[in-house]
Amino acid sequence: MAGLTGSRRRGGGAGWLAAAPLLVVTLIAFGIPTVVLGVGAFSVKGGGFGFDNLSATMQEPYIGALWSSVKLSAVVAILGAVLGAFLAQAVLTSRSGLLREAVLTASGVLANFGGVPLAFIWIATLGNSGVVTAALGLGSGVLYNFWGLALVYLYFSIPLMVLVIAPALDGLKPQWREAALNNGASTWQFWRHVGIPVLGPALLGGGVLLFGGAFAAYATAAAMVGASVPLVTLQIADALTGNVLIGYENIALALSVDMIVIALLVMAVYLPLQKRSSRWLA
Amino acid sequence: MTVELRELRRSFGGTVALDGLSLTIEQGELIAFLGPSGCGKTTALRCVAGFERPDTGAVFIDGADVTRVPANRRDAGMVFQSYSLFPNLNVRDNVAFGLRVRRRPTSERHSRAAELLELVGLGGFGERYPHQLSGGQQQRVALARALALQPKVLLLDEPLSALDAKVRVNLREEIRRLQLELGITTIFVTHDQEEALSVADRVAVLKSGRLEQVAPPAEVYDRPATPFVAEFVGTMNHLPGRVSGETVEVFGHFLPLDGAAPGEEVDVLVRPEAVRVSPSEEGRGFILASSFRGSIARLRVQLDSGGEVLADVPGHEAVRLAPGLKVDVTLVERPVLTAPRTAVAAPVEPVA
Amino acid sequence: MAGVTWRRLTLGVAAVYFLVPLAIAVWFTVYNESLGFSLGAYGRIVSAPGFGESLLKSLLLGAAVIVLVLLLALPALLAVRLGAPGLRPVLETITTLPLIVPPITYVVGIANALRGGTDALAATPFWQTLISIQDEDFPVVLVLAYVMLALPFAYRSLDTGLRAVDVRTLVEAARNLGASWPYVLFRVILPNLRSAVAGASFLSLALVMGEYTIAALMGYRTFPVWIVTVSGSDGQLSVALSVLSLGLIWLLLLTLSGAGRKSK
Repeated sequence: MAGLTGSRRRGGGAGWLAAAPLLVVTLIAFGIPTVVLGVGAFSVKGGGFGFDNLSATMQEPYIGALWSSVKLSAVVAILGAVLGAFLAQAVLTSRSGLLREAVLTASGVLANFGGVPLAFIWIATLGNSGVVTAALGLGSGVLYNFWGLALVYLYFSIPLMVLVIAPALDGLKPQWREAALNNGASTWQFWRHVGIPVLGPALLGGGVLLFGGAFAAYATAAAMVGASVPLVTLQIADALTGNVLIGYENIALALSVDMIVIALLVMAVYLPLQKRSSRWLA
Repeated sequence: MTVELRELRRSFGGTVALDGLSLTIEQGELIAFLGPSGCGKTTALRCVAGFERPDTGAVFIDGADVTRVPANRRDAGMVFQSYSLFPNLNVRDNVAFGLRVRRRPTSERHSRAAELLELVGLGGFGERYPHQLSGGQQQRVALARALALQPKVLLLDEPLSALDAKVRVNLREEIRRLQLELGITTIFVTHDQEEALSVADRVAVLKSGRLEQVAPPAEVYDRPATPFVAEFVGTMNHLPGRVSGETVEVFGHFLPLDGAAPGEEVDVLVRPEAVRVSPSEEGRGFILASSFRGSIARLRVQLDSGGEVLADVPGHEAVRLAPGLKVDVTLVERPVLTAPRTAVAAPVEPVA
Repeated sequence: MAGVTWRRLTLGVAAVYFLVPLAIAVWFTVYNESLGFSLGAYGRIVSAPGFGESLLKSLLLGAAVIVLVLLLALPALLAVRLGAPGLRPVLETITTLPLIVPPITYVVGIANALRGGTDALAATPFWQTLISIQDEDFPVVLVLAYVMLALPFAYRSLDTGLRAVDVRTLVEAARNLGASWPYVLFRVILPNLRSAVAGASFLSLALVMGEYTIAALMGYRTFPVWIVTVSGSDGQLSVALSVLSLGLIWLLLLTLSGAGRKSK
C-alpha cells in the first residue's frame, strides 16, 4: 500500500513535469502579451495608472463601434443558432445517409472558411457589381451594411452551429418523443417541455461560440465594409496601424480590454451550462 | 377493456413485420408477446400504442376502432425498453408529465405523482433526477408515468431487458403484482421465454409476423402447438425416431404420438426432464458434462450412436452421475411431438 | 405530411444560401464576357509574384505549429490520465483563455510587448533573441501565437480521442509486458490516437492557412496575407484565390478523414 501511494506521488510530480513545457510556453506566449495589454490599457499619459483610456473608449466613436460589434455578434449568434439547429435537424432526420455525410463534411469546410476569401466570394455574388445584384437589379450597397455583414458571417456561423448541435440532436432519444406522445403531448409540447430544455445548453453553447466568432472577426469586415459599419475590431486595427490621432496610442489597448471583458461575460454564461448538458446527453 | 388486433399487416421495405396477426386480449389479462427478434412482437405493440400504423387491418381498444387515432390521443400507457425518462425533469415531473400536458393544477399533479411513486415503491424519490437512479428504479418511474393517466391498456416493450438478472426477476414480480392489483389489461413484449412464462396469464408466441400459439404458460410449455414453439419455449432434445402407426420408436421404446407425424423418419422432441439416466456398463452413452443447478442437475450425455442428449436429474444424484460415467438413457412414457428429421440428435436450447 | 414539408423547405433554402455564392464564384473565375471561357485566372495565381514563397512559408509555419501543439498538449493530457488529475482544471483554464482573447486584441498585446521588450532589452544579449524570433522568413513569434490559438481546439480534439482509449490500462499492460516508456508512447498510445492526432493537426493547419489578422497586422507575408495583397484590383484573380483556399480546406479535411478512417 505504501509503495502504491509512493508511486502515485511520484506520478503526480512527473505529471506536472510533463505539463511544464505547456505551462511555460503559455506563460510566455500568452501571459506576457496579456499583461502588457492590461498594463498599457490602464497606463496614463505622463506615467501612473488610471482609467483615462478606458473612459475614452466609453465615448464616441468607440462606444458606438463596441455597441455595433455586440449587436452584430448577437444577431449572428441568435440567427445562426436557430437556423443551424433547424438545418441540422432537417439533415439528421432525413433518412439519407449520403445527405447527412455530405452536409457534415461541407459544414466542416465552411465553418473553417472565413477571412478575406469569404468576403471576396460574397462581393462577387452580392457586391455592387455582383452577379445576383445585377440579375435582380438590387442596386448598390446591398452588402455593405450591418445586415449584409450578418448575412456573410452566417455563412460560416450556421455550419459551425450544425457541427456543434449535431451530436446533441443525435443524443435526443426517440423514446423521449414517443414517451411524450404516449402521455398525450403534441409534437410542439414535446419540444417545449423536453426537446428544447434538453438541447438548451448545447444551443446556448453554440450561440456563445458563434458570438465569439463574429465578435472577433476582422478580416472579412475589413475587406467588405471598410469603415462604413463601425466595428471594434476595425477600430483596434486602425489604432494599431497608426491610422489615428496622436495621443490615442493606448486606445487600442483599452478597446482590447473592453473586448476581452465582453467575451469573458458571454463565456461565463456558457461554461456552467455545458457541464449539465453533457450529463443529460451522455 | 379488451384489445383486439384484427388481421394486422405491416412491412418495412421488403421485410414483413406483421403478416396477418389476429388476437384478442381480454379484460384484465396480462398477455406476453414472445418470439425471437424480428418476429413482429414490438411492431404489434407499437400498432396498439399508435407509433406504427398497420398497412392493413385494425386495432380495437374496448370495441372502438383506434387504427387511425394518433398516438397522443390513445388510452394506452407505455413503458419502453430503457432510458425513456425525460432527463431534464425530476422524477415527480416525469410521472406527472401527462397531467402537465393536460394542464391539470399543480396540486393534483403532485399528489397523483406521489401516489404513483408510492405504488411502485419509490415514495420520496420525487425530487431526484433520472441520472441519479439505477436502471431498475428508472423503469419503476417509467411504469408510474405510464399509469399516471389511468390508461385502459398498459404496454410494456421489453421493459426488463436492459437490467441486471437479479433486478429483472424482482421487477417482473413487481409488475405482475401491480397489474393484478389494478386489474389493467396489459401487453408484455419479451424475447425471454422464462420471463414470459413466469408473469403472463397467456403467452402469444410469434414467428415471422404470425401467431404460432396463444395459450396459458403451462400449456405452451407442455403442449406446444408447433415444433417452433416447442423449440423456442424451454429446452428441447431432438432424437431420431421411426414412426410406426400411432407410435414412434426411439431408443428401442415405443412412445405414443402427439398429433400427426411429418413422415416416417422424424425427430422426436423430448424435454430434458422427460429423459431418465441411469448408470449402466452396457448403456448407450456416457456423461459428457454435468452442471449443478440446485434442485436439479443438467447432464449432457454423449450417445454412442452419435449426437447428444440433455437430461435433468434430481440435484442429489449429481454426485453419483459424474462425467465419464457410462449410462443408459430412457424416456418417460408420454405422448411426444415430432418434427421433420434434421440431423443427428442435438438438443436445442433457447437463445435467451 | 407537415414534417416532410418543413424539411424540404429548410434544405432548399439552405442549398440556395450555401451553394449559389459558390457556384457564382466558380462561374466568375472561368467566364468573362469579352474572353468567354478561360482558366486564365487560375493560371495567374501560380504565376503571381510571391505565390510559392508565401505558400511555402505558411506550410512551414503550419508544420511547426502542429509539431509544437502535439509536443505540448500530448504529454500534459497523458499526465492528467496517468496520475496527476489535479492538472485537469489548470489545463482546461489555460486552453479556454485563448477563446476569450480575440486575435485582434492578442496581436495588440504581442505588438506592444515586442516594442516594449526591444526598448527595454536594447543593451542586453536578450535583444538579439527578440530580434531573431521576429525574423521575416520564419517568424517564431507567429508560430507561438498560432500555437496559442490552435491549442483550445487541438486540446479538445485530443482529449476526446483519449477518452475513447483506456490509457491507464494500456500503459499498465504494456509495462507489464516489459515495454519501455518511449515504446509505450510511440508504439502503444499514439497509434490508438491516430484520428484524434489527425483531427488536431487538421484544425491547427486550417487555422494557420486561414489566419489573416495577426500576420497582417504584424506585417508578415503569409499565404492568407499574400492573397489579399496580390488580388489588388484584379477581381477575377481574387475570387479564384478564394475558391482555391476553400478547396485547400476541403482537401485538408478529406486527408484528415482518410487518416481517421484507417485507424478504425
